[in-house]
Amino acid sequence: MAIEKEQLSASESLRKTRTFGKVRCHNPSCMERIQPAPGANHAKCPTCGMEYRLFWVNSTLPRIRGPVWDVNRKIAQEKMARLEAAASKKNGKKGGK
Amino acid sequence: MALNRKIAYIDLTTGDIETKPIPLEVRKKFLGGRGLDAYLLLNHTEKGCDPLGPGNALIISGGILTATCASATARTHVMAKSPLTNMLGSANMGGFFAPELAWAGFHHLVIKGKAEKPVYIWIHNGEIEIRDAGHLWGKTTTDTQWAIREELGDEDIKSAVIGPAGENLVTFANVMTGIKNSAGRTGMGCVMGSKNLKAVAARGSMDIEIAHPVEALEHNKHFINQITSAKVNQTQGALGTPFIWGATNSWGGVRTRNFQYNQCENADDIEPERIDEICEETMGPYHMTGCFGCQVHCRAQYKVPSGPFAGKYDEGPEYTSLGAFGGEPDCKNAETVFAGNHLVNQFGVDNLEIGSIISWAMELYELGILTNKDTDGLELRFGNDEALLEMVERICFRKGWLGDTLADGGLPAAEKIGKNSFDYLVQVKGMNNLHSDERGTPALALNIATASRGSDHLRSRPAIDLYHLPEKVLRKIYSSPIPYDGPLSSEHTAYEGKPWQVYWQENCYMAVDCLGICKYHTVFLGATLPNFEDWPKVIYYNTGLEMTPEEIWEVAERCNNIERLFNLREGLERDDLKKGDTLSHRYFDEPCRRGAPDIIGATIDREKFTKMIDEFYEHHNWDKNGVPTAETLERLGLDKEPSHLI
Repeated sequence: MAIEKEQLSASESLRKTRTFGKVRCHNPSCMERIQPAPGANHAKCPTCGMEYRLFWVNSTLPRIRGPVWDVNRKIAQEKMARLEAAASKKNGKKGGK
Repeated sequence: MALNRKIAYIDLTTGDIETKPIPLEVRKKFLGGRGLDAYLLLNHTEKGCDPLGPGNALIISGGILTATCASATARTHVMAKSPLTNMLGSANMGGFFAPELAWAGFHHLVIKGKAEKPVYIWIHNGEIEIRDAGHLWGKTTTDTQWAIREELGDEDIKSAVIGPAGENLVTFANVMTGIKNSAGRTGMGCVMGSKNLKAVAARGSMDIEIAHPVEALEHNKHFINQITSAKVNQTQGALGTPFIWGATNSWGGVRTRNFQYNQCENADDIEPERIDEICEETMGPYHMTGCFGCQVHCRAQYKVPSGPFAGKYDEGPEYTSLGAFGGEPDCKNAETVFAGNHLVNQFGVDNLEIGSIISWAMELYELGILTNKDTDGLELRFGNDEALLEMVERICFRKGWLGDTLADGGLPAAEKIGKNSFDYLVQVKGMNNLHSDERGTPALALNIATASRGSDHLRSRPAIDLYHLPEKVLRKIYSSPIPYDGPLSSEHTAYEGKPWQVYWQENCYMAVDCLGICKYHTVFLGATLPNFEDWPKVIYYNTGLEMTPEEIWEVAERCNNIERLFNLREGLERDDLKKGDTLSHRYFDEPCRRGAPDIIGATIDREKFTKMIDEFYEHHNWDKNGVPTAETLERLGLDKEPSHLI
């Protein structure tokens, strides 16, 4: 009978994988774990350069409050410009045919 | 066996009331809550019934664990055919109502017919009475509850009520309890209003027999530790659910300006930390509270800080109100979020639906599809906070042409407005999306496309997909209780393996809804929270019912198939843009323009999406059209539905 099992369930066994004191970069292809200095209100991802504002839920639990908007906006505009240029180049080629 | 609570059938046309025990065989097949409600709905309504007619069944219930020693068994489930979608209607709320209903002797109510004049139902220690509600009609949700308490002389009465939106048959009106707990999707308050039913009030002191009370309490300590030690629940306890909106907005996963953008930039004034500051400023440091038997305490208490409703007490705002009155209409003022949240709570209307439909109207106005004539001169532009709040009132009271039109819901409104307005409506099965944007997250897109009650995050969303968990962790979660060795991907922008995750989550959430516990106590936002393997002990100690994780999975499968049968009966077709398992063209055609670098430019790939749907159906053993095969129905014991067991 299942209820007599004393082994750990999947969720219980995963408790040891919890990490405290870190946040993950929100950039999907990066997702680097960032370890901010205790109490820091700002962090920069060492891998992709995204910058975040931080909030501390408690002394061991930081969370990303949001991006640094200026940095985020600049990255977004550059990426959109690249995508639009690529699309327009592609469309231009198609038109030429 | 501790399962001695009953079901009551109440006919508001005739006044007849019948009560019955719930047979054990029915419990074993459907457990309780949403699963058993789905069975009752399929069996107690006719195909094509008018959602606002006396033939529709309004079903109100608690789960099989409600009011026991188990944690967080606060959820009340409400089900009927939806007036918003004309398909499955289903909504779920926290608070204290379902436990009180159980102590009053009942776990499920099936309400049919229509009263001649406004009434409310009073349930007290096994007795049920239909009472006049003429003096309650027109009152807000909270005033209604306080008036019932005063009339019956008991301040511990808990009521599930409607506000003006339900009375005015707004198709996305809520059933509510307490200050802000809302059964708030698919218009269950509208069904209640159509029956002239203002409230169901309950008060009980009957025993709930616990099968093994010492073990149940001891095991609950272990359970509580597992719940409260999770990072996500510690965050919820500090910031409430707004943290979800904040985290999602950070990387570009929220709808802004209807569906034009996927991030609300410079929204510092409505970030969860700012919301929390205002709650603390107005209510003090201990402003977080919880539902029945819950230790997470994710519900904030506040007073509206300024503006026309300054000083009014309320609760929330939940992450849905940040989307509805912040991100979607691009209004970045905390005062507007608090005021909007207050209005929807008082009027009893779905904040998700009303925020989305007003944002849709704003886009139509800016495009010239709606004009000043349609809005009676209201400048219905994005970022116009006053217009946003004005529209909430117009919709709830059906004021003016546009308020009345939008109150009917997105699909009828699109037909009435005409032109190409439907192209801008972001909905599935007639229900608007919440405030999230799934163009960068294929798993989440599959979830909303296939959810049984329309576009929805609480039916099958693999939210942990966003955490970039290692494959071995994903496999540990998603390979139990049913073995799975197919693909799984840590990348939330990927398509591979996502159909299985969505399928697994669909069964997980159904099980939770049958048990009657909150989704923050399972694998919704936290990977280390309880699921199938953790539930047998809780069920056994509290009810005496012995079930394996595999048997709980099978119950969930069965109940999901019942919901599928209902939707198929009411016209679901796979590729139907209004009734099917598909998405607005905007998901495929319009790329994300903001957010983290890899989200920018993202769309859903139509071909891969179609393949995901195919795989999702295969996991269910449904055919290519999404119809359960005869073999599936037989295996689940559903081959003779409707079977009228109860």
